[in-house]
Amino acid sequence: MAEHIILFAGPMGAGKTTAIKSLSEINVISTEAANTERETADKDTTTVALDYGEITLGEDDKIRLYGVPGQKRFDFMWQLLKERAMGLVLLLNSDAQNPVERLREFLLEFGSLHARGGIVVGITRTDVTAGPDLWEYSKCISETMPDCLIPVFTVDARSGDHMRTCLLSLVLNIESRGLVTSRKEQAA
Amino acid sequence: MNDKPHKDPQIIAHAQAILQGLSEYCASLNFATILTEDGFEVASLGHDGESRNRMAAMASSMQALGEAVTRDLKKGGCEYIIVAAPQGYMIQLRVPGQLLVMAACFDAGETLGKALSVSKLAAAQMAAPLLPMAV
Repeated sequence: MAEHIILFAGPMGAGKTTAIKSLSEINVISTEAANTERETADKDTTTVALDYGEITLGEDDKIRLYGVPGQKRFDFMWQLLKERAMGLVLLLNSDAQNPVERLREFLLEFGSLHARGGIVVGITRTDVTAGPDLWEYSKCISETMPDCLIPVFTVDARSGDHMRTCLLSLVLNIESRGLVTSRKEQAA
Repeated sequence: MNDKPHKDPQIIAHAQAILQGLSEYCASLNFATILTEDGFEVASLGHDGESRNRMAAMASSMQALGEAVTRDLKKGGCEYIIVAAPQGYMIQLRVPGQLLVMAACFDAGETLGKALSVSKLAAAQMAAPLLPMAV
């Protein structure tokens, strides 16, 4: 059975904990604390260390899902969890202040995961605020990480189906890259 | 209690007085901080500004992880966390009844019993004048 470690990152309020809860087959381990930054994200609690869940895709792939805190002050957790990850689901809430700029910041921080496996971007809360068009996010991606193929989806973090589609596209990308690499090594 | 204790001058002054008292009672204390449970520094003793902010965020993560572990093991609430290293150790615990955490770092020469005892006392003193919160 193949195992993948996938990181969920993005600003506070993007829906990382919700997405992992939508996907996980086990009880999610969460580290929530009372949120004192209601002006940034109007919610009662916020993740301060990590979220952890698991899902099996098909018969062969076990995915370990790690969510990181969205706030920069917890960047030591970003570094710790980034070291183990094979891919990234980057979630951006369209009702955030300047979500395209937030996307750029998170790509600069987590972009190295593209080389290790892959990245997908999920835009959440478009039902609350339409926010920028998808092409604006795509433009930001191509400017920030030229020559990198990073798909962008509109997703509802509460929907297991949406999040599975997002996750599957990432896992397929990781596995196809693995195949290409091993074939290149065999040919060499 | 104010929903932003790290911005409340009265709570900050009280926290500073508690940490000062702790350092006077325990010379082996080399750093201490009181923080909101989501990682904002309320008051600190020792270290510079950037390092204080970082320690507050790390202590917040550690507290939440400690509580996640005890919850998963069904061992009840997490009473305190001890991190031991060759040159000292850190003790952290919740301020009773508040959405606050206290973390204190001691030299290796200090006995663990005394460090734990004074830390618990300081956390209780921190809580005393504050209204109970739903923790």
